[in-house]
Amino acid sequence: MLGLALLLPFLAEAKSKGSSVIDEDFFQTTATIGGKITSKTDGLSLPGVTVLEKGTSNGTVTDVEGIYLLTLRGEKAVLVFSYIGFESVEITVASQSTINLIMEETSQAMNEIVITALGIGREKKSLGYSVGEVKGDAVRNVTQENAINALAGRVAGVTVNQTSGVGSSTSIVIRGATSLTSDNQPLFVIDGVPVSNSLGNMRSMGGRNEVDYGNQISDLNPDDIESISVLKGPSAAALYGTRAGNGVILVTTKKGRKGERMVVNFSSSNVFEQPVRFLDFHYGFSNGNRVGLLDERSEFWAGIPLDQGISAVQWNSPVGPDGKRIPTEMNSYRDNMKNFLEAGVTSTNSLAITGSTDKTTYKLGYTNMSHNGLIPNSDLFRHNLSFSAGFDITEKLKLSTDVNLSKSLSNDRPSTGNRGANAAESVYSWSHVNIADLRDYWLPGQEEFQQRAPSDNMDNPYFIAYGINNGFVRDRVMGNMKLDYKWSENLNSHLRMSYDTYAENRETKIPYSYTRDRRGGYHLQDINQAESNLEFLTTYKKDVGDLNLSFSAGANAMNQNFRDNYMGSREGVGLVVPGLYRISNIRQDGIAYENSSSRRAIYSVFGLASFGFKDQLYLDLTARNDWSSTLPASNRSYFYPSASLSWIANYTFNLPENISMLKFRAGLAQVGNDTSPYAIIPVMGNSNWGNLVFNTYPGNLLNSNLAPEINTSFEYGMDLNLFNNRITFEGTYFYQENRNQILNVQGPSSSGFPTRQINAGMISSRGWEIMLGGSPIQNANGLSLDVNINFTRMRTRLESLTDGMDFINLWDENNGGAQTFVGDDIGNLYSRGYLKVEDPKSPYYQWPILTATQGTWQPDNRREARVKVGNFNPDFIMGMQTVLRYKKWNLQASFDLRMGGEFQSFTYRFGGSNWKSELQMNDLIPGGLYTDAELVALLKSDPGKYIIPKNGNFPRVGGYTEATGGLPNPLGTGINYDGVFIPGVIQIAPGEYREHLGGAGTFVRPASTQFPWSYNQQVTFDASFLKLRELSIGYDLPNIKGISSTNVSIFSRNIILWTAANIGIDPERAFQINGNRQGDTANVFRQGIELQNVLPWTIPFGFKLNMTF
Amino acid sequence: MKIINSLHKFIIALVLLTAISCDSLDEINENPNGISPTNANPNFLLPAVMRQAALNINNLGYGDMAGTVQHTQKDGWFTGHNVYEWGLQDWNGWYDILRNNRFLMERAEDTGLDFHKGIALTMKSFLFGTITDLWGDAPYTMALRGDQPGLENEFPAFDSQEVIYEGVINDLKAAAQIFSKGNNSGIIAQYDLYFKGNAQRWHKFTNSLLLRYYMRLSAKKPDFAKAGIEEIFRTGVFLSAADEDVVMDYIGASMGDSWPSSTDFDAGSNYRRIKPTTTLINRMLEINDPRVPVWFKPVHNQWVEDLKLTTSIDPFIRENGVILPGRVSFSDLVYVQRIAAGNVYTRHYNPALLGRKLDTGRYVGVPAGLENPSAYNLNPTEGQQVENQHVSQLSDHYKGRSGGILKARIISASEVHFILAEAAQRGWNVGNAQTHYNNAIRFSLQTWGVGPGYEKYITRAGVAYDGSLKQIIEQKWIASWTTATESWFDYRRTGFPALVPGNSSAEPVMPIRFTYGNNEINFNSKNVGDAISRLEVTFGGGRGANNQWSKPWLIQGTGKPW
Repeated sequence: MLGLALLLPFLAEAKSKGSSVIDEDFFQTTATIGGKITSKTDGLSLPGVTVLEKGTSNGTVTDVEGIYLLTLRGEKAVLVFSYIGFESVEITVASQSTINLIMEETSQAMNEIVITALGIGREKKSLGYSVGEVKGDAVRNVTQENAINALAGRVAGVTVNQTSGVGSSTSIVIRGATSLTSDNQPLFVIDGVPVSNSLGNMRSMGGRNEVDYGNQISDLNPDDIESISVLKGPSAAALYGTRAGNGVILVTTKKGRKGERMVVNFSSSNVFEQPVRFLDFHYGFSNGNRVGLLDERSEFWAGIPLDQGISAVQWNSPVGPDGKRIPTEMNSYRDNMKNFLEAGVTSTNSLAITGSTDKTTYKLGYTNMSHNGLIPNSDLFRHNLSFSAGFDITEKLKLSTDVNLSKSLSNDRPSTGNRGANAAESVYSWSHVNIADLRDYWLPGQEEFQQRAPSDNMDNPYFIAYGINNGFVRDRVMGNMKLDYKWSENLNSHLRMSYDTYAENRETKIPYSYTRDRRGGYHLQDINQAESNLEFLTTYKKDVGDLNLSFSAGANAMNQNFRDNYMGSREGVGLVVPGLYRISNIRQDGIAYENSSSRRAIYSVFGLASFGFKDQLYLDLTARNDWSSTLPASNRSYFYPSASLSWIANYTFNLPENISMLKFRAGLAQVGNDTSPYAIIPVMGNSNWGNLVFNTYPGNLLNSNLAPEINTSFEYGMDLNLFNNRITFEGTYFYQENRNQILNVQGPSSSGFPTRQINAGMISSRGWEIMLGGSPIQNANGLSLDVNINFTRMRTRLESLTDGMDFINLWDENNGGAQTFVGDDIGNLYSRGYLKVEDPKSPYYQWPILTATQGTWQPDNRREARVKVGNFNPDFIMGMQTVLRYKKWNLQASFDLRMGGEFQSFTYRFGGSNWKSELQMNDLIPGGLYTDAELVALLKSDPGKYIIPKNGNFPRVGGYTEATGGLPNPLGTGINYDGVFIPGVIQIAPGEYREHLGGAGTFVRPASTQFPWSYNQQVTFDASFLKLRELSIGYDLPNIKGISSTNVSIFSRNIILWTAANIGIDPERAFQINGNRQGDTANVFRQGIELQNVLPWTIPFGFKLNMTF
Repeated sequence: MKIINSLHKFIIALVLLTAISCDSLDEINENPNGISPTNANPNFLLPAVMRQAALNINNLGYGDMAGTVQHTQKDGWFTGHNVYEWGLQDWNGWYDILRNNRFLMERAEDTGLDFHKGIALTMKSFLFGTITDLWGDAPYTMALRGDQPGLENEFPAFDSQEVIYEGVINDLKAAAQIFSKGNNSGIIAQYDLYFKGNAQRWHKFTNSLLLRYYMRLSAKKPDFAKAGIEEIFRTGVFLSAADEDVVMDYIGASMGDSWPSSTDFDAGSNYRRIKPTTTLINRMLEINDPRVPVWFKPVHNQWVEDLKLTTSIDPFIRENGVILPGRVSFSDLVYVQRIAAGNVYTRHYNPALLGRKLDTGRYVGVPAGLENPSAYNLNPTEGQQVENQHVSQLSDHYKGRSGGILKARIISASEVHFILAEAAQRGWNVGNAQTHYNNAIRFSLQTWGVGPGYEKYITRAGVAYDGSLKQIIEQKWIASWTTATESWFDYRRTGFPALVPGNSSAEPVMPIRFTYGNNEINFNSKNVGDAISRLEVTFGGGRGANNQWSKPWLIQGTGKPW
C-alpha cells in the first residue's frame, strides 16, 4: 500500500517530463520578461519569490537581489507572483518586457488561515473559539530535540514541562488538567494522522533503575514542521471526538507547493550544553555522622572537617613499607559534578528536497540527530525519513500521501530514580572523594565482577554510567494516503487511510556488584503499538447571496492494537556468569516473564455545518457520535454537539479607522470520553511461588455499567486589533465541567477493594487567557520590533465525588502529598501534622509540643491534623516573545514566567536528612553564641521566625561546631559542640506547658539527628520562576553563487533567570513520572514533587546554518 | 477514465477490507490477559491465600514484633523496631488476602468442594483473628463486600473485637467439622502449601488455632475459654510433635520468595542491622539455653577487663593478644575469614579508668530502646550501616535464602503445649501443667535442632517447672523466636515477661496495639472514628486516641499488661 504511494509520484514525474518535451515542440518561445521585486514594508528586495506563468509549469524564482528573468511560452501570458507571508499578485504581461513589483505583506490578522479540526483550513476571523498557532519559522532559529518544547511559553493556556534533560519526557497540558486519572496529554494529529503519545513511557528494570524512555511524540522531526495549531477547548476539538477532551495539537509538515521549482534545503545545527548551577551541598565535612569520624559507608556528610589539613586513612590511602595504610589529607571536591559531567552535544543535520511539476508536488526529507548526554556514556540518536507527495490524477481526483519513517535509539538512557542507578545522584555520595579517582570503576582483576568504590554500600557513579546500560530502539512508521475527489465546484469528498505504528525494543544490562542488584541483571522488553484510521468526509459549499454555506459529513473507523512482552531476571537473582547478557545466562527459576495485549476500536460519524453572513457573522455547528469498544454495549454510543459564533463587529458598525478589527466570539461544546480497554469486566491475575503459578482476585473493582465521561465547556472571547493591526489583543474566558469522571478512587481496603472505578463526580476548571501583540517599531529603514505577550490564569476544582467520598489522593508520600477535598482546588499539597498548642489564648499558641523524653516533634497522624502547605498549580503563567529585525539581522527572545504555587523537593529531604545541604546548616539558629537568657529572649522575640515551623524550615537551635553556635552535647563522644535542640514546649499537664528554649531540662541532641524527616513542610518551596526559554540571533547571509538563501543563527535555551526557592532545583521539574504507585489516584505522574532531579542547570549554546539551493 | 474505474474498485476494496476487519466491539473488548473469575479453579486460589498469610506473619514475627518483645534490636533504621514509632499502620495487605479467601470460599461452595471450604474457613479465622489481635475493632461482618451495592458495603462498619473473636471461633469449629471427615476430594496436593492436602493435619491446625483463641479470651471470658480448651483437649486432635508445626518453606530463588534478611539480595544490610537484645540473650545465657548458638553469633571482638591497662581502652584491636597498630576494626567479611582461620580478637579496657563496665561476654546483646544503638559497647565504627564488632549478630543461618531453620512459622506444637500448660496451671481440666510445659520446651528444642539438649536443660534451675504462670510465659516467649507476634499478645494478656521500654521510647510503657492506618482514616473516616472512640486512652493521648498505647476491648478492664 505504502509502496504504491511511494511509487506514484515518480511515475507522475516521468509522465510530466514526457509531455513537457511535446509542449516545447509545439510552442515557440515568444518573449522574455524580467524585473525586480521589493517589499512594501521595508523597501528591501525580496529573494525567493515564485514567478509562474499561469496555466503552465513554466516559472522561476527571484534571486538574492529580488531579480527574476523568465522566458514566456504563451502569447497572452499572465504572471503569478507568490511569496509566503505576502499577498499573491497576478499581472497580465501584454506587451511589457519589465515588470517591477512592490509586494504587500498579508494582512495577518484579517486573512490568516489556520488549520482546524480534520485539517480544514479556516480564516481565523471566522472562528468562534481560540486557536493557538505556532509557525515553523518562529522556531527556525533554534533547534529543539523534542518539537513540543518549542511550544513552551508561546501559547496562552498551554503548559509545557520537560521532566529532565535531553530525551526525557515532555508533558504538555492545555487549559489545565481536567481528568484526574489520565495524563491529560492532548491528541497529536500529524497531517491528519492521529499519533500515539503518552507520558507513561517509564520502566524500572532491575533494582531501582527507573528509566524514562521519552514520550513517543519525540519521534517527530522538528525540522519537518510547517506549522502547529493548538486546538484548546472542546469547541475547537469536538470533531476529533473521544480523544480530544484534552485538546488537540495539529501538526502540518512541510510539503512541496504547486508551481514551486525544485528547492533543496540543508540545515545543520550543533548545541553544546554546559552545567552552570548545582545543588547547594556544603562539602564542608567528610562522610561520617559525627564530627571527627570518617565513615565512607555513611550517607551523612557530617564527619571530619575538610580542607583543614586533617589526615585520615581513606579508602585509597597508599600502603606504606610496613604494610600499613598511610593517612592522607582530607579535602573537599566541590567540582565533582562539573568534572563528572561531559559537555552535552546535540548535532542535527537535515536535508530536504521540495518541488513540483504541473501535476505533482513532492517533498523528500532526511534528518539525523545525535546527542551525547551530560552523563557520560548516555546518548540518543534519531533518524527521520519523510516523504510527501501530491498527484493530480485527473482534474477532479487528487492523490496525496505523507510517510514518516523514524528510528530513535540509544545505547544508554540514564536512570533518574531515587537512591538507585541514578549516576548524577551518586556523584553526591562522597564529599571527600575526588571523582577523578573513581574513573577506573572495576577493581583490578575483578572486571565485570566487583566495582571499585570507596564503600561497598554505595555505587561508583562511573560504574552506573558505563556499567549499567539501558538501551532502546524504536522504529516507527506514520503515514497516510488521501484521495480527494471534486464532484463539482461545490462538492468535495476525501477518503483517508492513516496508520501509525511503532515497535520499541528495550534492553537493560546490569553488571555484578550493583548495590541494588548484587548479581546484576538482564532485561528485555518489546512494545508494539499500532493505530489505523479510515476516514471519509464529504463537503458541500455554496454561496447564496450574502450567505456562505458549508456542510460536511463523514465517518471514521479507528483501531488500536497494543502488545507488551517482557523477560528478565528476577530481583536479586541476576546472572550466572558475570558480564554475559543473555536470557540463557539467568537461572531458570529466576527468570521473570510476562506479556499482555489489548485492542480498542472507535467507530464514528460526524457532521459540520458553517454559515457565514456578509463576511461578518459566522456560525459553526458540529455533531459527532462515537461507538467505543471499551464501554458496555448499553452505554457505548454517545453523541456530542458543539456550536460557535464569531462576529466581526467592525464590519457591522462604522468604527474609528484606528480599529482594524473588533471581533466577539463564543463557543459551547461537549465531548465524550471512553476508557481504557478491558475496564468493565475483571479477570484473574497471575502470580507465582517458585514454579507454582496461581490466580489472584483483583483488588480493583471494575464497573460494568460505565458510561462515558462528559466534558462540557464554553468560552467567550474578544479580539481587538488597532492601528492597522499593529496592536492585537485576544482575550478568552473559559469554563469546563468534566462530569461522570471515570476515576480509579481509593476506598477502605476492609471493603475488599482498595481501589474502585467510579463513574461520578465533577471537576470544573475556569480560566483566563490573554494575548497581546504589538509592533511598536516598524520603520522604513528595516528596523522592526514585534512583541507578543500571553497570560494564563486557571483554577481547577473538585466539585463533587461519589456518595461517601469526600477526598481524593493524587499522590501520597510521607503521610502528606497532593490531596483534594470536595470543594477544594485540585493540587493542594499537605504535610503530616505535628502536635502544637491549639489554644489561641495560650502564650504558646502554635508552638510545637515536643516529646517529654526526647524533646522532638510529635507526629499527629489524624487526617484533620494535616497541614496544608500549598498548591502545585501556579497563580498565573506568562510568556513573552520578542523579535527585533534590522535588515538581514534578527534577534528573538522568548520568556516564560510562572508565579505562585509550591513544590516539595525530596532531593532536599534526603539531602537535609543526610546533612549534605548547606541550606539546612544555615537555617540553624546559632544558640551557642548566646547566653541562656539571651537565647530565650531572642527566640521569644519572634516565635513565627524562631519557633513555629513554616514552609522550608522547622526551626532548630544550635550548630555543628562551637564556632557556628553548636551547643555542648551531653551525648557526644569526645566532641561536644554539635548539639542542637528543637524550640517549643513540653506538656506537663493538659493545657500546661514548660518552655523548651535552652538551659536546664533542654534535650540537646547531635545536630545530624535533628532533621524533621517526617514533615514534608520542611521541603516545601515556592515554585515561581522566570526562564529565558530561547534567545537567538539570526543573520541572512549575502548572496553566494548558486545558493538562493543562507541563514545562520546562534541560540541558547532554557536559561533559568530566577527561582523564588533559590535552591538549585528547577521547579518545573517537580513533576515525577512513575509507574503505578500503590495509593495514588493519578498514577501516571505526580505533580508538585521533585525527587533526585539533581542534574545541574545548563546553559546550552547552539549554532545553526540553513541553506537553500 | 481507466484510472478512475480502477480507483472506484480500489475504494470498494478498501471499504470491504475495513468492514471485514471491523470485529464486533464486544469481541474487541474481551480481555485475553487473564481467565474469567467464573472459571477459576479453587485449587489455583489456595496459594494466593496461604503464601501471603505465611509471609506476612513471618515478616511481623521476625520484624518489628521481635523488636517489640525485645528479642532483637536494630542499629540502623531502628525507630519502628526498637521504640515503636510505627506511625499509622494500614492493613491493606491483610484484607487483600481476605479478598482472595472470600473468593476461594465462593468458588469452593459453587463447585461443591468441602475441603477447600474448610481451608477457606480456617484461613479466614486465622487472618481476621490476627487483624483484631493487632488493631482491635475491625470491619468483619460487613467487610469484603465492596462489590455489593450500597454505601454500607462500600464503607464497612467496624465490629467489636468480641464479635470478631466469636466469629473466628465459630468458623474454626465449622472447619474442624469438615476436616474431621477426612475427605480431601478435589485437592491438587501441590497447591496446598502447608499440608499437601492432608485433612488430618488441617484438622490439627484448626483445633490448635481454637486453643490459641480460647486462651486469648481467658481474661474477658474465662468460662467460655475454659470450656473450649477442655473440649479440644478431650478430642486429642492438635499439634503434638515438633514435625507437625505449621510452617511454609521458602523457595530461595529470588528476593520475593526468600528469607527476609537473606544477604544475597541486599548486600547484607538488613541482616547486619538486626542484633539480639540483652533482655533475651542475657536471660538465655543465664539458663545456658542450647538455642543460643543456633540463633546468635559470638562477637567478632571481645572486650577484656584489664586493670593494668594505663589507658581507659585499647585504641586498636588485638589479634591473638597482640595490638594491631592503626586497626580499629575489620569488615564483617574479613573478620569471618580470619576468625575461621583460628585467630582470636580482643580489646582491653580498664574499668577503673573508663568509669564504667563494658559487656565482656562472648555473646553480647543490645539493650532495648537505646537512643543510639549502633554506639553500644563502645563501637569504634559507629554509623548506621557498619557492623559493631563488640555486639553479636544473628547466626549465619539468617543470611541464607531458604531451607534449614528458615521457615515461615504459623503455629507450633510447642505453642500449643504452652497453652495447655497455662490452662492446667489455671486449674482447668486439661491434664498436668508440668507435663505440658516440659513437652512444649522439648518440641521447641527439637524445632531448633537441639533436641538432645533437652534432658539437661529441663532440670536446670530457672528452667525446671516451678508452677508459676510467669515461668510458662517466659519460656513461651523464648520459644516464640521469629514468631514474636504471639508473644506480644501473651505479654498483653499476662504482663509477662515484664518488659520495660527503653529510654528513647516516647512513652514509659510498652505499646499494646497497632494504630488504624491512613487508608481507613482517609476513606472510611466515620466508621474508624466510631472504633477509635471505643478505645480506652492511656498514654500518648496527645496524638489522639488512635495511638499504640490505647487499650482495645480485649484488655480493657483486665488490669493488664500495665
